[in-house]
Amino acid sequence: MRFAKPLFVLVLVASFLLGSAVVIGQDQTVVRISWWGSQNRHDRTIATIELYEELNPNIDIVYEFQGWTDHWTKLSTQAAGGELPDIMQHDYARIEEWVANGLLMPLDGYIESGAIDTMNIADASLAGGMVDGSLYGINLGNNSQVFTLDVDAFEAAGLELPALDWTWTDFEEIATQISETLGIPAIGGLSGDPMWKSLYMSCCDQWAYAADGMSLGYEDDQPLIDYFNMLLRLQENGGMQSYEDSVARGDMGVESQLMVTGEAAMAAHWSNQIVAVWTAAGAERNFVMYPLPRAEGGQSANYFKPSMFFSITSHADHPDEAAAFIDWFVNSIEANNILEAERGVPISSAVREALLPDLGVAQAEMFRYLGIIEMDNSPIRPADPAAHNDVVTNVYNPEFVEPVMYGLMTPEEAAPILREEANRILGDQ
Amino acid sequence: MSASAISLSNPKKRKAKQFGQNNLIGYLFISPWLIAFFLFTLIPIAVSLVLSFTDYNVLANSGEFIGLENFQRMFFEDRRYWRSVTATVKYVIFSVPLRLVFALGVAMLLNTRRRGIGVYRAAFYAPSIVGGSIAVAVMWREIFGNDGLVNFILNLLGIAGPNWLGRPETAIWTLIILAAWQFGSPMLIFLAGLKNIPKHLYESAQIDGANAFQRFLRITLPMLTPIIFFNLIMQLISGFMVFTQAFIVTQGRPLDTTLFYALYIYRRAFELNEMGYASAMAWVMLLVIALLTALVFRSSSYWVHYESEEGA
Repeated sequence: MRFAKPLFVLVLVASFLLGSAVVIGQDQTVVRISWWGSQNRHDRTIATIELYEELNPNIDIVYEFQGWTDHWTKLSTQAAGGELPDIMQHDYARIEEWVANGLLMPLDGYIESGAIDTMNIADASLAGGMVDGSLYGINLGNNSQVFTLDVDAFEAAGLELPALDWTWTDFEEIATQISETLGIPAIGGLSGDPMWKSLYMSCCDQWAYAADGMSLGYEDDQPLIDYFNMLLRLQENGGMQSYEDSVARGDMGVESQLMVTGEAAMAAHWSNQIVAVWTAAGAERNFVMYPLPRAEGGQSANYFKPSMFFSITSHADHPDEAAAFIDWFVNSIEANNILEAERGVPISSAVREALLPDLGVAQAEMFRYLGIIEMDNSPIRPADPAAHNDVVTNVYNPEFVEPVMYGLMTPEEAAPILREEANRILGDQ
Repeated sequence: MSASAISLSNPKKRKAKQFGQNNLIGYLFISPWLIAFFLFTLIPIAVSLVLSFTDYNVLANSGEFIGLENFQRMFFEDRRYWRSVTATVKYVIFSVPLRLVFALGVAMLLNTRRRGIGVYRAAFYAPSIVGGSIAVAVMWREIFGNDGLVNFILNLLGIAGPNWLGRPETAIWTLIILAAWQFGSPMLIFLAGLKNIPKHLYESAQIDGANAFQRFLRITLPMLTPIIFFNLIMQLISGFMVFTQAFIVTQGRPLDTTLFYALYIYRRAFELNEMGYASAMAWVMLLVIALLTALVFRSSSYWVHYESEEGA
């Protein structure tokens, strides 16, 4: 009797602690997956997962999704805790860092055994996922940067559509004319780091980073200075949304670009994002996709990039089941009918052919656009160095772009600071 | 002898046993809190102190002992660090007094016997319940946005409103105003303090011919100093830790003018995985807050009046 009370309490506490652990005890294999994206992608991916679970009743796919920034915050925390999901969506700019830290599993075994079927996939489409000779990510779609033009706005401004190999000079003229005739900026901000990279690719056959990733990859600051002087002119004459307006508006994802709501005539983004952009803008809109403007007399500023990967993490509890899901995700026509190339043009030729007849208007335009890029592009550069994120967050944006766009410094003054500070971070890594 | 010794020691022993048992049950009951406290608060704090002397990277899950290098980098090499300090200090200097003045003012308004006063009190407290929430921050974006409420009203008055969130001169003020607007919790404490001031003081002052302002200056303020002291310390601490507002409303922009200290720590820790450096930054903040709190405590003997002293 004397022990009854404490014993009772002990049992109570113990049952609380154990209770949560006992609930999971069914026959299903749980495969965890995590991705980033827009609402459009979330909806499509969840529908695909539900179909897979229907077809494979013994598999329970537990999914998490979030925006780009939160994705990396959450997953790097999970990485430290040894709690990564079986499958994670990965990115060309970051895969090297994750492989270097031993967080991803090589997939070569699954390719050889045919568990992930690559019969209809060109080697070039897989190459982006190779790190040090092993495959760590399955490309989920081919991608390239794009300027999407609102055809109706061009017509309203009395402008002809430009040539496919248009230059920044052409662009500046067009943007100025749009703001003069329509009273709206031609485009939102153009100061992001992808532009920085493509700029040197087009003018000088160089890249923002050196091949070894230990320093910047260009010697001459002049093209960057010229480019930002042009942005300043456009900001001044209203041809481009002013930097302070874009700050005030905040970054709410690709669907909130000015062109979507008719507040601009063009938008710069990645080609796969056209699906989200067009869906948000409305099917009745009239868009056409264009390559990036190039430097005067320069080569194409466009390159093919794997839009994103699915990778199996080294913490995966069920890598075989994860590989089976990836195989189905990439190769199944049923799955891709739901996904509708929202992650970029599918890498499986069989899937591409099956999708072609029923493509939505946005997807059809994306397929057409990548066909154009296929004819004229520059080769992809080595994946970004591990310090890329640090350089962009702590140097490129706060020390270069913002002081220049707010008029505190001229591009001539700020470019050497960018070079010096970026080289310090890159050399330290 | 022996018999009496036994009879003496027995109840004692039983008492000790019972005491131990009672304690055990007590500890068991608070064990959820205790476990969480050790697991999620005390141990992480201790670990972060160790981490602050390393270059621990979350993604690599490894780090080496680098002595004081993190602190050297913070104070002498990191340009953004000092901008975050400037932003935070500016925020605290303006938002804390503003919030306290607001809170006291509203508390005095609500310190009356009127019908439905409870409804008013609840209404004025509401902004603080939703306090640091995402919803409020999003609403603030809308209010101060380019086509937001504020500029709409200014437009009606024929004034072209500035780009509140986009200009480096104005962005931080939207956050300071947001802070002032969330005056609920110090207001409640002020209200309780006001109710504790004996009525007879006011009555005798009134008989002596003191006007409302004199009564406020000579009675209300001195009698409230212990409450002001408490509120000042609480608001000072929470002011230095401001995060959500900047994270949602301005993301630290423009030009790092709203890159508050806690936000910068978050960026370093969770976006760049530099947990060692971020831990070092957090410990510097802890020391600064502790120092300031100690200073306020020290100064309190000069301006805080306790009733008991007057009675003695």
